[in-house]
Amino acid sequence: MRVLYIDTSSDYLYSGIVVDDKLVSSIKKKYEKDLSKEALPKIIELFDEANITPKDLDKIIVVNGPGSFTGIRIGITIAKTIAWALNINITPISGLTAMAISSNTNTYKMPLIDARRGYVYGAIYDKDNNKVIEDSHIELKELLDKSKDLDIEVITNNDLEINIKKESYDPDILKIVKHFETSDGINPHLVNPIYLKKTEAEEKAGL
Amino acid sequence: MKDVYILGIESSCDETSCSIVKNGTVELATSTSSQIDIHENFGGVVPEIASREHVKNITLVIEDCLKKANMKIEDVTAIAITYGPGLIGSLLVGMQAAKTLSYIYNKPLVPVHHIAGHIYANSLVEELKFPLIALVVSGGHTELIKMTDHFNFEKLGGTLDDAIGECYDKVARVMGLPYPGGPKLDKLSKEGKPTYKLPIPLNDDSYDFSFSGLKSAVINLNHNEEQKGKEINKADLAASFQKVAVTSIVSKTKKALKDYNINNLIVAGGVAANSILREALTDMCNENNIHLSIPPLKYCTDNAAMIASAGYYAYKLGRRADYHLNSLSTTALN
Ligand SMILES: Nc1ncnc2c1ncn2[C@@H]1O[C@H](COP(=O)(O)OP(=O)(O)O)[C@@H](O)[C@H]1O
Ligand SMILES: [Mg+2]
Repeated sequence: MRVLYIDTSSDYLYSGIVVDDKLVSSIKKKYEKDLSKEALPKIIELFDEANITPKDLDKIIVVNGPGSFTGIRIGITIAKTIAWALNINITPISGLTAMAISSNTNTYKMPLIDARRGYVYGAIYDKDNNKVIEDSHIELKELLDKSKDLDIEVITNNDLEINIKKESYDPDILKIVKHFETSDGINPHLVNPIYLKKTEAEEKAGL
Repeated sequence: MKDVYILGIESSCDETSCSIVKNGTVELATSTSSQIDIHENFGGVVPEIASREHVKNITLVIEDCLKKANMKIEDVTAIAITYGPGLIGSLLVGMQAAKTLSYIYNKPLVPVHHIAGHIYANSLVEELKFPLIALVVSGGHTELIKMTDHFNFEKLGGTLDDAIGECYDKVARVMGLPYPGGPKLDKLSKEGKPTYKLPIPLNDDSYDFSFSGLKSAVINLNHNEEQKGKEINKADLAASFQKVAVTSIVSKTKKALKDYNINNLIVAGGVAANSILREALTDMCNENNIHLSIPPLKYCTDNAAMIASAGYYAYKLGRRADYHLNSLSTTALN
């Protein structure tokens, strides 16, 4: 089984290639504004390093949100185009799920991405990475309220003011890919970002 | 000579489009997903919504275009992509798809400037004859460009403020016409007569344009009549506005052709669809023995066929990009 993993939902490019349960090449690098320029060239380097070509892939796993709208679209468009061209499926996954899977804590897990003005993209997972509270765009206060009776650890790379135990997010790409081993994925045309948030224009228009 | 097939991708604003063009002049197939209906709800293009639509549609239009052309990407010679100018979030989607296709199929990647695309839309009708003057009139541009050869652009002048299409849309909006108002204003003006007096914009020695004064004059006139409780005759106002705007464009264009002693004129961009402008340019060119080329309506607004056509000539000139190619929201014609 040969799987390409892509996550561009933050300022970072997290990507890797897994061949038969081994992570054979990977990158974790901050790009910010240069992501659209650098993402594809870096992914090509991963193929070269892994000594395989895209045609050898069986599946792509891509993070479809939440996070930076533009960032997500970059990763998804690359994934969709590769998968469409090679006639393979994509397993779209939540970046929050990827954060939960990567953590080794034995408590409940609360992955958080700053969505500004007191809001976060967040969710709660149990220690086996089952969802307890769905991914949502929610006020941080409200999410903390909902979880106050749980033994919980926050996973985040953002500067959020929280007085519970925190760990930073460092994706365990092999673990994430293995978690979705049995997923068949879906047709690439059907893969789209999950923004969890309407555009301002839609909100104003009440659409 | 071997035939050259260019697959073009365009996503700079609110159309996701893919096209295959043979030898720069023959459109084999185009597939375009237009978002006009969606943005109509907001009175203009909402960039974030446009980007969201592009990512939904990009692989669909590519597949549909290939199906229509009955071709595989393997049969294509190179991939042409609009790198700018335009809405950055929109441009990025087409760019990632184009770069990825170029990599997977090992096809050269050819960067195309959006306005070069509009100009080369004319190649889909007949090959460009040099030297020529290109009049670019669109939602974002109003420019007179001199070309002595392929991809040799010399800007003679342009708008100092609003683009002509922008001006049409704003005036139309004040008159209560839904977005995009340009074509609706055009239609409405046919029922009216140019009875309102409006200022003639920038009637000087340059090749520049200015439309903000004209726009303000229409808005003020509309407002003043309303204050007086008078019913404005919208059709007459539309006709008056069109007459002044079109006269200004045609006279500057005529001046450029005369001064440089050029007898080929090509028109490009969405406002080339305007019926009064077409008429006035046709008359001016007939009177002055100038060869005029205006693309048919479907090539005037944003489409990938024009990008593939421009891409062919750029390809022939050896223009190539590597996988680091990035989208640019603003960039000079090149
Ligand atoms: N018949 C017409 N009369 C006047 N303006 C028109 C007409 N048809 C289209 N337009 C205008 O053309 C513009 C769109 O052209 P386009 O080339 O897509 O612009 P851009 O790519 O610069 O945004 C809009 O401003 C629209 O109102
Ligand atoms: Mg355009």
